[in-house]
Amino acid sequence: MRFVHTADWQLGMTRRILGARPPKEAAGGLTGEAQARFAQARLDAVAELGRLADERDAAFVLVCGDVFESNLVGPDVVARACEALGSFRTPVLLLPGNHDPADAACVLRRPDFARRCPAHVTVLDAPGVHEVAPGVEVVAAPWRSKHPLTDLVGEQLAALDPAPPGTLRVLAGHGELDVLDPDDDEPARIRRDGVLAALADGRVHYVALGDRHSTWTDAVDDRIRHAGTPEVTDFDEVDPGNVLVVDLDRHGAQVAVEPVGRWRFLRHDARLDADGDLDALDARLAAVPDKERTAIRLALVGTLSLRQRGRLDDLLAAHAHAFAAVEILEQHSDLATVPDDADLDDLDLHGFAADAAAELFAAATSDDAEARDALRLLHRLVGSR
Amino acid sequence: MRLHRIRLRDFRGVHDREVALAEHGVTVLQGDNEVGKTSTLAALDLLFDAADSSRRAEIRAAQPAGVDAGPEVEAEVSTGPYRFTYRKRWLRRPRTELHVTAPAPEQLTGADAHARVSAILDETMDRVLWRGLRVEQHSGVGQADLGGQDALTRALDRAASGHEAARPDPTVDDGLVERAVEELRRYRTPSGRATGELRAAEVRLADAEAEHDRCRAALEATERDVAARDRLDADLGTVRARRRAQGDEVAELEDRWAGLQSRLREVEAAGDQAVLARERADAARDRRAARDALIAAVAADADAASRAAAARDAHDAEHTTAREDRDRRRADDTDARAEATRARHAADAADRAVSAARDRAELLDLAERLRRVGDAASGLAAAERAQAAATVGADDLAEVEDLARDLLRAEAARDAAAARVELTVPADGDGLTLDVDGETVTLAAGETRTLPVAAVRAVSLPGVLAVRVRPGLDDAGRDDAVREATRALAGACEDLGVADLEAARAACRAAEDAARRAGEHRAALARELAGHADTAALRTAHDAVRDRLEGVEATTDDVAALRTAAGTAREEAGTAARRADEADAACRAAEDAVRESETRSAVLTERAADARHAHARRAEELAAARVDEPDAALADAESTRRDRAREAEREHETLAAALAGDDPDTVEVLVTNARAVAERLTGEVARLEREHAETTGRLQAAGAQGWHDQLAAAATELEAAGRAHETVAARAAAARRLHETLARHRERVRRSYVAPFRAQVERLARIVFGPTLSLEIDEDLRITHRTLDGTTVAFGALSSGAQEQLGLCARLACAALVDPADGVPVVIDDALGHTDPERLARLGAVFTAATAAQGAAQVVVLTCTPERYHGIGAATVVPLTPSRRPGADSADDRDDHAGDRDEPARPIDPAPATAPGTVVDLPRAPRAG
Repeated sequence: MRFVHTADWQLGMTRRILGARPPKEAAGGLTGEAQARFAQARLDAVAELGRLADERDAAFVLVCGDVFESNLVGPDVVARACEALGSFRTPVLLLPGNHDPADAACVLRRPDFARRCPAHVTVLDAPGVHEVAPGVEVVAAPWRSKHPLTDLVGEQLAALDPAPPGTLRVLAGHGELDVLDPDDDEPARIRRDGVLAALADGRVHYVALGDRHSTWTDAVDDRIRHAGTPEVTDFDEVDPGNVLVVDLDRHGAQVAVEPVGRWRFLRHDARLDADGDLDALDARLAAVPDKERTAIRLALVGTLSLRQRGRLDDLLAAHAHAFAAVEILEQHSDLATVPDDADLDDLDLHGFAADAAAELFAAATSDDAEARDALRLLHRLVGSR
Repeated sequence: MRLHRIRLRDFRGVHDREVALAEHGVTVLQGDNEVGKTSTLAALDLLFDAADSSRRAEIRAAQPAGVDAGPEVEAEVSTGPYRFTYRKRWLRRPRTELHVTAPAPEQLTGADAHARVSAILDETMDRVLWRGLRVEQHSGVGQADLGGQDALTRALDRAASGHEAARPDPTVDDGLVERAVEELRRYRTPSGRATGELRAAEVRLADAEAEHDRCRAALEATERDVAARDRLDADLGTVRARRRAQGDEVAELEDRWAGLQSRLREVEAAGDQAVLARERADAARDRRAARDALIAAVAADADAASRAAAARDAHDAEHTTAREDRDRRRADDTDARAEATRARHAADAADRAVSAARDRAELLDLAERLRRVGDAASGLAAAERAQAAATVGADDLAEVEDLARDLLRAEAARDAAAARVELTVPADGDGLTLDVDGETVTLAAGETRTLPVAAVRAVSLPGVLAVRVRPGLDDAGRDDAVREATRALAGACEDLGVADLEAARAACRAAEDAARRAGEHRAALARELAGHADTAALRTAHDAVRDRLEGVEATTDDVAALRTAAGTAREEAGTAARRADEADAACRAAEDAVRESETRSAVLTERAADARHAHARRAEELAAARVDEPDAALADAESTRRDRAREAEREHETLAAALAGDDPDTVEVLVTNARAVAERLTGEVARLEREHAETTGRLQAAGAQGWHDQLAAAATELEAAGRAHETVAARAAAARRLHETLARHRERVRRSYVAPFRAQVERLARIVFGPTLSLEIDEDLRITHRTLDGTTVAFGALSSGAQEQLGLCARLACAALVDPADGVPVVIDDALGHTDPERLARLGAVFTAATAAQGAAQVVVLTCTPERYHGIGAATVVPLTPSRRPGADSADDRDDHAGDRDEPARPIDPAPATAPGTVVDLPRAPRAG
């Protein structure tokens, strides 16, 4: 039996780094250009994994939670999601996760979703065993509120008898395993021991999990897996952009990791002290492929002169046009701008203007950002003479 | 910059003139008005500023009228390391030529020449100072704006630092502060409010915050609704379960309550029974009591009947006595009434006798009055006749009497006026008889008779003598009057039918007498008729009385006696009538007593009968009752019923006590309460269901709003706006910081410039104002106050003259201060009009002092009043005279030599022969040679 295991589509997600709608653009929708492309990329990934499922003749696509970024996404997001779902034939099972729990506002039950939802899509908003095909059962552990007070997966497993002979059981759950995030205060953590026991005694044959955006396989039993998000959502994700094509029988699972995502969120740490460092950074940024689908976050450390700082700003501004986003991560950056004598000599000022420049220079050297800016402005004004 | 030479051709009123200026010190160009002093200055400006192609208004104004030639200016100038001759012609065959002689020879024409000169001037000369140090004609010598002058600033900088510093870059602070201000103004208004980019960033941030708050609030509201829906689901389950449980409890309690109610009804039935038994017992007791009462009543009735019979018998005796008394009184009454009738008849007869006697007396009286009336009527008729016959009334008599008096007066008048004839008989003579007017008059001796002569009088002694005396004419007239009066009197008497006055008087008296008598008779007539209308009435009365007496027997006529008799009879009749009345009354009283007694008798009889009947009936009733129910049976029934009632009451009490033991009130309260709780729970369920529906509706609506997307967009925008604002705010802060720092340093430097500038100005101004002068000068190098002899006055409050003098001192000080290489000429066009001669002399010394130093600035003074500048010791004076176009013949000349002026290679003399202070008025012709 073959199916596609995926999760965390997070449809309707926006990323602040991708920028706001240009303020003067009155009728530009809610998001800017990069945001719109990013949103489209998430839908493209869904369409891509659907095409993959069709090609591989999968029995179904199992989405383990967080189909939508929120229950309160707009009707446009819902409509486009339904369009993407309608672009392939393989049956789809949607499990409510922590972002779209099956509560009173559940988007998967909303009239606009229900009206557009293609026929081959099933919402697993009721916990328990669902027979999805002859001899194939999916045990759903949907989230019914944002803050459940128990291990939902453990709860479902405890209620199960061993699967009847000839029946394959897949558990669909959402949440972190306690080994991945040992947070004692979180009651909803999935107890790994219980999961291992259920796999061992044949109550289930595969545990499909969502919530972790990176693809992950349990070290003890490779039938416990996180599919990860099909399209990257953040800089800290280790291996996003995949779906899992699972061939399952009573003895084990053959899993193929298939990349479908096209975007990348990169982080780059650099030390900048000399012009050579700037050259290196410039070259590094220039070498990044697919810049329009790449957001890059820089952690910069070092000390620059006024001129070098100006160069850095120009350099970053130039690259920002090509990338989807370029950002300096302030909390991980420690970039000092200290004017040097060359900065002052460049001005070639005399008289009181020279005195004023010297005063600003002194203040800027002792880390007065305003004085540094004033000095840069002075540079500009003298240059424009 | 120094000016060596200026040449004007066809420029305004100047035909062709060249002026050479002293290289150092003061050059005074003096000349009359319109000689072209100011034109020289204007020409210099045009030469430097206006391209030869320019057609500016000043240039067109500079073209001389009616001449086909363009204005042309040529100047020889040295500035910095350069020395050059520069010539321009406009409008007609425009041309520009530059001839540089130092440091390296250079020849340029056209736009290149213009550009080169501009470059040289920019490089070597402070053009702003050039304008600042100039005093234009007609504009008072105010303060020059010296604050921003580079050359001066450099000089002051040098002076302030006290040593000859390396020559600084001339473009150091050129407009830097202004650009910093411009930069600051991009973000903040002069009052410090945010504007432009900064304002836009602030607005964007505020909008983003508002939008973010709005979206977050909406999202949170939706999340609250989600939580509320969960809670409502749970609450609904709980409350519905409680409502079901409550329903069961209500049913159980209602069953108990129903059982208790049936027992309650049994108790009530027993109670009714007891009440009924008690009522029956009471009825038996009542019947027995009624029988006892009946027996007592029969006895009482018998007693009453016997008492009534006794009373009736007693009254019958009284009744008989009364009847007898009445009969006696009736007889008495009849007697008295007969006596009274008789006495009344006697009295009536006496009255009639009296009346007849009185009528007879009246008849007699009436007959007498009738007779007297007849007498009076006849007398009256006689008197009235006499009255009618009388002709003379009282008025007629008065008239006659008047006429008689008139006659007497006429006669008297006549006699008084008439001549008198006195006839005297001598006393001793004899009597004598005379005939006078026919009468015989006898005169005794001594007697005299006087005769009036009113008419002709005839006196005669008969026979002896006849004398006729005639009166004159007047006397005759009087006599006529007498006659007239006599005639009138006679006429009147005749009219009245009397003879004379006496007769008239008699007639009058007779008439009066007749009237009096008629009055008397009328009075008598009225008296006798008193009480009657006329005689006929009197007669009728008389006849009536007579008729009355007809047939009455005449007795005695003694009326008094008759009256007395009548009175006695009347008295007797009255007494008899009174007695009859008394008897009648007594009779009537007796009748009443009898009737009353009869009534009472009837009453008593009836009472006795009633009592007897009542007793009989009661006795029958008792007998009948005893037949129905003997007395003993009644007593038995009473005691039996009483016992039965007591038994029923005890039964009821027992049942009621048993029911009370089961506390039905509490059960009822419980039932009521349980029902209320059930009702409240039903309401609660309804409320929860309503809230549930509302929340669900809101959630559905919120789903369509896409609050997550909006919040995400708003958060992104907020962050972007925040970053943008931070950036702009940092730029604005930097601009402010830079401006603030630059301005502070500039001010500090300017303050240090003030001291050397003030020292120089004060040095010159003390020459004019004396050694006690001191000045205050601000950072912009403006004189703000002057102190003289300890009195400080603001510059604006100084007199025009003093302002002019100080302004000049400041300019000359400036000229004296600046580096000779930077210096520019100070040009003064006819100033000092407000300065008195003594100060003018001192100002001359100022000029000298300011220009004494080696390499000091050039000073050019233009004036039409040379006396003002006589005091300048070292001045080079250049008198200007009008440079007129030669006569009409010159037009031919110019035609001939037109080609000369067009010739581009016409050399400019690099070393002019003219010495400073000379004027060469070149006629046109020599130029051709």
